[in-house]
Amino acid sequence: MRGRAKTEKRKWKIGLRAAIAKLWQGFREWSGDAAYERYASCAERGREGRVLSREEFYVEQLQKKYSRVSRCC
Amino acid sequence: MKRLLGIGAWVVVAALGALGLATIALHRGEGLSATWFVLAAVCSYLVAYRLYSAFIAAKLLTLDNTRATPAERHDDGRDFVPTNKWVLFGHHFAAIAGPGPLVGPTLAAQFGYLPGTLWLIAGAAFAGCVQDFVILFCSIRRDGKTLGEMAKDEVSKRGGTIAGLAVLAIMIILLGVVALVIVNALKSSPWATFTLAMTIPIALLLGVYLRFFRPGRVIEASVIGVALVMFAVVAGQWVADSPAWAAKFTMGGVTLAFALIAYGFAASALPVWLLLAPRDYLSAFIKAGAIFSLAAGILLVRPHVLMPPLTRFVDGSGPVFAGKIFPFCFITIACGAISGFHSLISSGTTPKMIQREGQARFIGYGAMLLESFVGVMAMVAACAMTPGVYFAINSPATVVGATPEAAAATISSWGYPLEAGTMAQLAHSVGEQTLWNRAGGAPSLAVGMAHIFSRTIGGDRLLSIWYHFAIMFEALFILTVLDAGTRVGRFMVQELLGRVWKPIGRMNWYPAIVLSSGLIVAMWGYFLYQGVVDPLGGINSLWPLFGISNQLLAAVALVVATTILLKMGKLRWIWVTLVPMAWLVVITMTASYQKIFSANPRIGFLSYANGLAAQIAAGKIPAAKIGEMQRVIFNQRLDAVVTAVLAVMFLVLLVEALVQWYAILARGKEAKLHETPYVATQWAEGD
Repeated sequence: MRGRAKTEKRKWKIGLRAAIAKLWQGFREWSGDAAYERYASCAERGREGRVLSREEFYVEQLQKKYSRVSRCC
Repeated sequence: MKRLLGIGAWVVVAALGALGLATIALHRGEGLSATWFVLAAVCSYLVAYRLYSAFIAAKLLTLDNTRATPAERHDDGRDFVPTNKWVLFGHHFAAIAGPGPLVGPTLAAQFGYLPGTLWLIAGAAFAGCVQDFVILFCSIRRDGKTLGEMAKDEVSKRGGTIAGLAVLAIMIILLGVVALVIVNALKSSPWATFTLAMTIPIALLLGVYLRFFRPGRVIEASVIGVALVMFAVVAGQWVADSPAWAAKFTMGGVTLAFALIAYGFAASALPVWLLLAPRDYLSAFIKAGAIFSLAAGILLVRPHVLMPPLTRFVDGSGPVFAGKIFPFCFITIACGAISGFHSLISSGTTPKMIQREGQARFIGYGAMLLESFVGVMAMVAACAMTPGVYFAINSPATVVGATPEAAAATISSWGYPLEAGTMAQLAHSVGEQTLWNRAGGAPSLAVGMAHIFSRTIGGDRLLSIWYHFAIMFEALFILTVLDAGTRVGRFMVQELLGRVWKPIGRMNWYPAIVLSSGLIVAMWGYFLYQGVVDPLGGINSLWPLFGISNQLLAAVALVVATTILLKMGKLRWIWVTLVPMAWLVVITMTASYQKIFSANPRIGFLSYANGLAAQIAAGKIPAAKIGEMQRVIFNQRLDAVVTAVLAVMFLVLLVEALVQWYAILARGKEAKLHETPYVATQWAEGD
């Protein structure tokens, strides 16, 4: 009985940890924090030519973002 | 059984929504709890989303989840990035939520809480959300094309040019008006001016940190930045308490206007990573935090709305801005119900990031519902203060009187009792020198927000901190629009001038950057300056001009959407976009006509100008003031010309579209759609 409760508790903890990790990842993606990782993994899959450095990618993304309407009234 | 339970639950939600709406519509007498506003809005949104958006998705757009989206077909991790629907919802909402849904409802509260609240809810459900959703869908089906490109492809080449010019013209007016809102919030307020000024070195610091030390680590940089901004809010009190420092940061309207013009130029001409981007990060975090805090505060405190449902100013004699409830309530609310600018976001980044066509409903329709809710909260915050205080903050001195006693007597004579001492006490409690004549919406919203926040945390002791936090939040919000808008405007100007002389079009040629940045700030700076020196307070002339231009852009978007739907053979359901489009045509054309030709000088630009000219001719204006009055006359005539040009541009586009519709419907012309061909998705159902 006790063993079962322990397993349940562990499962619950694992689930909670996974949910928090998912939320954190979502927040990172929303804020732009994870943009380079996303780009690098995409570039690794062979769709890109030269892979940009983190700094180059950051500046390039900003140039693009602020050359079109990105904020509303 | 499950289905029956589901139907039963939706009947309950609909009944609660109807109860909420009926209560806010029929209530008279004592203050009404904000809970009713939340109940009416949330239940209406749920029903609209569950029924109307589902109907549009299924019948009108026939969203197809088996069709690969641009994000799937072109996935490059840079422009086309398949993004989780919740994350994309957050992105899209952060992009569409600007100062409009906060300022518009606050100004429209002069009619009472009822018309504005009803339009915020109904306008969003039947017009604003529909526009955002349909344009997003159209752009997804065209590889993420912009509104201008779609207008060119689907309506006519001239239509595309008109849409492009309309965007530039609207941008210029918008930037001038939002800058005026900041000026009126910071005028004679050393605390607020210091806090906002400090956000510039903080942003520069973050810019260097993000570029050279920790490239792209947005969260850690933003945490540092937000902490520094909060410190600046507290430090502002020390500045305000020090006579020497307070004098340095106490500025008049004209000085602040030139400071903002210089800031806009710097943000446009400097490298984007140095000032613009880090400020945007700061603003995004503070914006999200403040909006959720306001929602939580309203739910916890449940303030009573003290403004009556309808005020005497429905007749058009309002002190904040002149004009009857129709069409000016709709023009003033603008973004909280429908915003033309959203169509630029819906045809910008979002369609390039969406994973499935079916998610367009949640992101396009759903995010606009949330924006409308922000508008309802702003309405509650503005109406939670006593009406007398609301009118004292938002009315110009030329309408209510120059001295506190005279102004209090005028406002009391309208049936909204107010004592001059009340305003002095309120100003003291929020740490300001004065709250009289602070038109623009920002200070009154900040007072409302500060009362809600202080009743949640800190009580009266923290009222002044909360007030300046709210001002900082609104100003930061607006500065983000100002600097990002100036930069985009610069690109548009460069593109236009590049057609005449090619080197100007080179985006990295510094003389071209300086020239075009100077041109764009000169244009919006002129509107700002005329607002600052306008004896009627500026907002009276410029906010309706902004509203008209914004709603005209929404009408442009709906014309394009209707044309595309007709070409898709959706005649049976065409009323979904046609009715809101027709409504926008009616309100914008009526408002434009009245703003140009009304015989009431507080409404009509020309009659105001002619009245002043007649006074000069009759020798009623002192010689020293003649120059100033002549400038006002010129500005009013300029506003009339701008309004007329915008209206004519829209009418030309409408005629072009009508010719197309006639050719398709009456003459059976083959409708040529410019959709990208169908490609089946390679992703499994649950991806």
